[in-house]
Amino acid sequence: MSNISVYDELDQAIEQMLQHQLASPSFPQKAQNGAGEQKQRDPEAPSLADEGNIGELIELAADLRDLPRANFRSRLKLELEWEAAGRRISAGDTDQQAVRGAATSGEILPSLFGKSWAGYPVRRRNFALSVALHAVMAFLVGATFLMVKSYVPRVEPQPNVTIRLEPYPVPIGAHPSSGGGSGGAAEPIRASKGMAPPAAQEQLTPPIILRNNAQPRLAATATVIAPPDLSFPRTREIGDPLSALAAPSNGPGVGGGIGGRAGGGVGGDGGGPGRGPGSKGGCCGGIYSAGDGVSIPRAIYSPEPEFSEEARRSKYQGEVTMLATIGADGRPRDLLVVRSLGMGLDEKALEAVRTWRFEPGKKDGRPVAVQMNIIVSFHLF
Amino acid sequence: MNAVANLANLTSLDDERLLIQAAQSDPSRFAELYESNFNRVYAFVARRVKDREEAQDVTADVFHQALRNLSRFQWRGVPFAAWLLRIAANALADRWQRAGREVPADSAELEAESSPADVVEIERRAMLFQLVDRLPADQRLVVVRRFVEQKSIREIAQELGRSEGAVKQLQFRALETLREQVRKSDE
Repeated sequence: MSNISVYDELDQAIEQMLQHQLASPSFPQKAQNGAGEQKQRDPEAPSLADEGNIGELIELAADLRDLPRANFRSRLKLELEWEAAGRRISAGDTDQQAVRGAATSGEILPSLFGKSWAGYPVRRRNFALSVALHAVMAFLVGATFLMVKSYVPRVEPQPNVTIRLEPYPVPIGAHPSSGGGSGGAAEPIRASKGMAPPAAQEQLTPPIILRNNAQPRLAATATVIAPPDLSFPRTREIGDPLSALAAPSNGPGVGGGIGGRAGGGVGGDGGGPGRGPGSKGGCCGGIYSAGDGVSIPRAIYSPEPEFSEEARRSKYQGEVTMLATIGADGRPRDLLVVRSLGMGLDEKALEAVRTWRFEPGKKDGRPVAVQMNIIVSFHLF
Repeated sequence: MNAVANLANLTSLDDERLLIQAAQSDPSRFAELYESNFNRVYAFVARRVKDREEAQDVTADVFHQALRNLSRFQWRGVPFAAWLLRIAANALADRWQRAGREVPADSAELEAESSPADVVEIERRAMLFQLVDRLPADQRLVVVRRFVEQKSIREIAQELGRSEGAVKQLQFRALETLREQVRKSDE
C-alpha cells in the first residue's frame, strides 16, 4: 500500500478523463472512489474533506478541455483589426492545423494560399505586387546588361579642314611682276572692244584682231600670259575689254597684241604680254605674286569653314583651290574657285575665307596686294 | 429568468450600445466588442462541435460575419451577444448542412435564446475561460499544457524543469483557484 496525495488522486482522475474523454457527472465520483479504495493518502497533503469534493475539480477540468488554443484569441483579434482597417485578409482557417492543411493541399507556395507559418494572414495583393516589382527589376537589369553588351559607340565623322596658303606661281621668269600688258599693230585707231584672249603661261601667238594671214600654216591659239585658270568674260570677238570702239583695230601699239603699247598683251598701259593695267605679264595691274622680293601674306585670322550637311551625309571630302588677292589692308578679295569640290563645300570655303584677315605681303617693306592660292582641304577622318 | 435578460445583465447595455455605435462609425473599435464577447461565443460554439479546431473555425467565422454586417445591426435593447450567438447558430447549421449532416433533432439547441439553462451554462464556461487568463502564470501554463495540449505531467515537468509533484501541485492549485472564483461569481 502506497501513500498518495490529493494531487496524485486528482491527476489520476484527470488522466483517466483525458484518456477516455469522459465527462459524465458520474465519472468524477468513480474516479474518487477508485482511488480511495486502492491507495493510502499522503498525511501532509490536503485531504479531500479539506479541499471539498474533488468531483467539482474534475468537472472544471472537463470544461477546460474546451479551452481555445493559447494564441487563437489574439490571432483572431489581429485578423479582425486588419479587416476593420479595410485590408482584405486571406480567407481560411485560423489555426496551425488549418495552415498545415492548406500546406498539404497546396504544396506550391502554401503560405500564399493559406496563412504564413507565423500564423498571420497572407495578403496576396502584397505578394503579387512584390512579384511584379521583382519581375520589372529583373527585366530592367537584364535589358541594361544586354544594352551595355551590344552597345557600339557611334563615331560621328568629324570634319577636318586643312588650309594651305600657296604662293601664286610667278608666270614669268624671275621678274617682279605687276601684271598687265599691251601691244598693237601700229594702227591709226585705238584697239577695238572685244574679249580678252585665253590666258596661258606661255604665249605662242599674241592676240590679234585683224589677221593679215587668214590661212596660217601652223595655227596657234592667241593667248596672253596670265594665270591659266583665270576665266575672263567671253564675247564673240577678241579685243580690248576696256575699249569702247567697235571698229576692228589692233591698236596703235607695236609688237603684236592689242593695245597702245608693245609686248603682245591686251589692253594695258604698261606694255608686256599680259592683260590689263600693268606690265610684264599677268593680270590686272598693281597685284604682285609672292617671291622675288614680295613676301607671301600670312593668315592671322582664319576660322575653319564648316562642312556642308550634304557632304557630311555623303562622307564627301577633298580640296577646294581658290585664287585670292590679299589686299594691302590684309583683306581677301577677288576670290575665285579654280578647283571646285562641289556638294556645297566651295561655297563654305568661300564663305569662310571672306572672313579671314592676313598680314599682307610686302615689297620693299610696304604692304602690297598679292595674288595667291588658298587650298582648303575637307577631311572627314 | 429569461435567457436574454441573463445576457443583458452581464454588461451594461448603455455601454454596449455606445460601443456598437462607435464600432459602426469606426470599425477599428470592433475590437472592444470582440474582447467582451469572445469567451461567450466560443463557449457557445464549443458545446456544439466535436473538437477544438472546429470550434475555433466557427468562432472566427462568427466574428468575421459580425464585422462585415455590423453596419446593419440595429439596436433594439437586445444584448450584442444575442446577435452574435444567432450568427453562431446559423453558422453551425450551415456547416452541418455542407457536411451532409442533419441538424440535430433538438434544433432548438441552436437557438441562442431558446434555452435558459443553455445560456447559463454558456455564461459559466465563458467566465471559466476568462478566469483561466487571470491565473498566476505558472498555473495557467500548466492548465494550458495539460488540458489544451493534453500533455502528461511528466512532459510538462520536463518542459518546465520542475518535478512531477510540483506540476501536479500547480494543477491542483489552478483548479482550486478556478473553483473558488466560480463559486464567488455564483454568489
